[in-house]
Amino acid sequence: MFLHRRSFLKSTFAGTGLVAYGLSSPQFLTRAAAATPLLDAKGSRDTILVVVQLTGGNDGLNTVIPFNDPLYAASRPTLKQKPSDIKKLNKDIGLHPVLQGLAELFNEQALTIVQGVGYPNPNQSHFTSMDIWHSARLDGPYSDGWLGRSLGHFKQGSGSGYHLGNQGEASPLALTGSIKCPTITSLADMELRASGHTNLDRKHQREIIEKSGQASVTESSSLLDYVQRTSAGTFSTVKKLREIAKNYDSKVPYPANRLAERLKLAAQLIDVEIGARIFYVEQDGYDTHADQAGNHSRLLTELSSALTAFYRDLKARGHAKRVVILTFSEFGRRVKENGSQGTDHGAAAPVFLLGESVNGGLVGAHPRLDKLDDGNLIHHTDFRSIYSTILDQWLGVPSNKIVGQFQNLQLLKKT
Amino acid sequence: MKLHYHKDIDPQWAWAEYKPTAQTPWTMKQVAHLYRRAGWGANWTELQAALKNGPTQTIDLLMTGKPGLKAFQTRVAKLAAPLEETADEHRLRAWWLYVMMNSPHPLLERMTLFWHNHFATSNAKVQHVGRMYRQNQLIRTHALKRFGPMLHAISEDPAMMVWLDTVSNRKKTPNENYARELMELFSLGIDQYTEQDIREAARAFAGWGIKNDAFHVYQEDIDSDSKKVFGKAGSFDGHQIVDMCLDKKTCASFLSRKLFKHFMSDTLVPDDALIQPLAERFYKSQYDIADLVGVMLRSNLFFSPDCYRAKIKSPVEFGLSVVHMLEGRVDTIQFAEMLDPLGQRLFAPPSVKGWDGGAQWLNSSTLLLRHNLCLALSSTEDQRILNRCDPSRLVKKHKTGAQSELAPVVTMLSELLLQNDLPATTRERLQLRMKQLREQKYARYWNAELIMEYQIRSMCHLIMTLPEFQLL
Repeated sequence: MFLHRRSFLKSTFAGTGLVAYGLSSPQFLTRAAAATPLLDAKGSRDTILVVVQLTGGNDGLNTVIPFNDPLYAASRPTLKQKPSDIKKLNKDIGLHPVLQGLAELFNEQALTIVQGVGYPNPNQSHFTSMDIWHSARLDGPYSDGWLGRSLGHFKQGSGSGYHLGNQGEASPLALTGSIKCPTITSLADMELRASGHTNLDRKHQREIIEKSGQASVTESSSLLDYVQRTSAGTFSTVKKLREIAKNYDSKVPYPANRLAERLKLAAQLIDVEIGARIFYVEQDGYDTHADQAGNHSRLLTELSSALTAFYRDLKARGHAKRVVILTFSEFGRRVKENGSQGTDHGAAAPVFLLGESVNGGLVGAHPRLDKLDDGNLIHHTDFRSIYSTILDQWLGVPSNKIVGQFQNLQLLKKT
Repeated sequence: MKLHYHKDIDPQWAWAEYKPTAQTPWTMKQVAHLYRRAGWGANWTELQAALKNGPTQTIDLLMTGKPGLKAFQTRVAKLAAPLEETADEHRLRAWWLYVMMNSPHPLLERMTLFWHNHFATSNAKVQHVGRMYRQNQLIRTHALKRFGPMLHAISEDPAMMVWLDTVSNRKKTPNENYARELMELFSLGIDQYTEQDIREAARAFAGWGIKNDAFHVYQEDIDSDSKKVFGKAGSFDGHQIVDMCLDKKTCASFLSRKLFKHFMSDTLVPDDALIQPLAERFYKSQYDIADLVGVMLRSNLFFSPDCYRAKIKSPVEFGLSVVHMLEGRVDTIQFAEMLDPLGQRLFAPPSVKGWDGGAQWLNSSTLLLRHNLCLALSSTEDQRILNRCDPSRLVKKHKTGAQSELAPVVTMLSELLLQNDLPATTRERLQLRMKQLREQKYARYWNAELIMEYQIRSMCHLIMTLPEFQLL
């Protein structure tokens, strides 16, 4: 079946085609950027969105707590939080006791909490539900993400996003689109090593390797084309990162946890004006089927301390006005705890928005505990209306093209 | 990266046995392709032997492994004995990499890796090296046999029972985690069951647990009341639920699709007509895994351009292929540490879904680390790994004729690593680099042999950084 190269190509083109890859070629990138509308629309310049994904299904009911509702304590015999420990936001609603930093930000009106967020006919598979949140589509195929689709609509030169993750961690579906978003772990890791025995030799070696992304596309199979584009992207990113200042001192101390490290990296990249509009980070571990109390409390402690440090650092550097942080999880947990001092997969949960440009306060009522759907909280706000608000009012991208028609919410300050 | 659905592949042609003809000869490319999927790439000796032996004999050998498997397994089991006491996850990882690297039956290890990703149990939660090791052995025992017994055994496996909370599933307080993943990830796939099926099936596993580090049923926690699963009512226990999943034909097509992706292509999504013959056969054979794998590896489709370099090497495949093809011997503890940041930490898959694989293996960060790993493995520069590959020794071992000429040596390396299947622009770059290497000045105390050795290492590293080398 393997003939020489030309027949191979011919049969590849004839049989399967490179159509699926053609759209994401570098030429398309330039074309899309040049044709981008909305240059003068509100939010089309410089605003930045940082998405923090709480992976595994965060227990929203023990994050934003209706502490006066007797059904709360009744449903959570071992997991309930003591009313006296809860960080009260008003007479009925409070935050988990460890969310000290977020409670302070709430008081400064830098935190908006949207309650009861979900989507119709919630799917309780981690992966399908996550795909739904990422793609902003209720049905598959989940081939691209809401942010990935948005990148092509940004003004020229600003259409990029970064996934800040573990080395080797895949970039999320949410960022998948025609423009590739790299995953970055730390500035120091992004260096192509060379073994040359002189400086010139090392330079030669690097130059030749860096050209491997530039092989002509017409000679490639489709997957090879993908690898070549990844190579090209890699080496241009490396070059950029090599250029940015390495002496970043954060204005506030960050706590010692992985989420905080990633957010600090985001702060560095924002501060050196790398030009990205989207940063995406994940905090894993929220799938608490058993022994939830300690784990959940640790996760929320990390979340609160990391977000607070990040916000304070951005503020000290004068970026807090142009950065909005969004946190979400694929679903909440079942209202009634299970017998393993844990909770099973549920539905509606709160979403946080953080930054100097958010309205602050609670949006929407807490979902009722006396009216459940098969044991799960019922949502009243579709997550896509949060996305549409962010797209229209913050990123300057027409939301109906990305997520469909959804009413904007009062989440951001009017400018 | 997008997937494409193929509508025009004739299933009868696709699954018929590949027979070399003048149009589709048995060349180095086919051999290397086969060895990339069923082994860790072909080293020079394997490449030459398979060319001579032809496809049937070569595939037979890959399916059964070379002689000496039993003795090898006894030896590595002895090596594993101290793992339990040390409770050191790193050593467990290094142990498996050692087995993968040295086993006379690499396909068995590849299948063990496949099922490790399918059942995707992580020591991050299990926190018990002994249990992780025993699950690994359990999977290896079944990896090329029948799926049914494996699924039953894995349901009772202590590491799995901790991983998916079977241990805290009791009649009064059911925990749905295992029942859900049993259906969604292990046997049927999404949309083949209802939320009600999961809740009811979960009750059938109530009372399953661990006693003295082995499977045990706690009678007092069993739920023997009637349950309704897949429309049938009965006081089912867990094994009956497993059998009900296996009875469904969708289980055979779900697994066939997953194995298709694993062996054939990351991007080609088989339509129903193409997968049907595999699924039917798999179901009829009572889920005989070796039979299904054999059909795929021998097929016309496998040796067609649709599957050629149609997969991205996983980090383990990538790392092991370098070491195997260059005939190196590396310290697997250090090796494991270097593979980790590439995105595949054995015994620690990222979620219950395992590693997504495919295009997800590559991004700016991991690609760069792959280049740097190749350098570490083939040069003398990187101090992280002490026992490295020596491409110049490899050349001396296999190359007849002049070894003092760089060009023919580079041709040999490019045949070994990429079967010389490179676009013209890449060849030009290799030429340019050779020219630079020849013309540059070397330290006065380097003799001709040292210079040649350095040049070979440098060219070998360069070839391994080519995009083609990322593909399986």
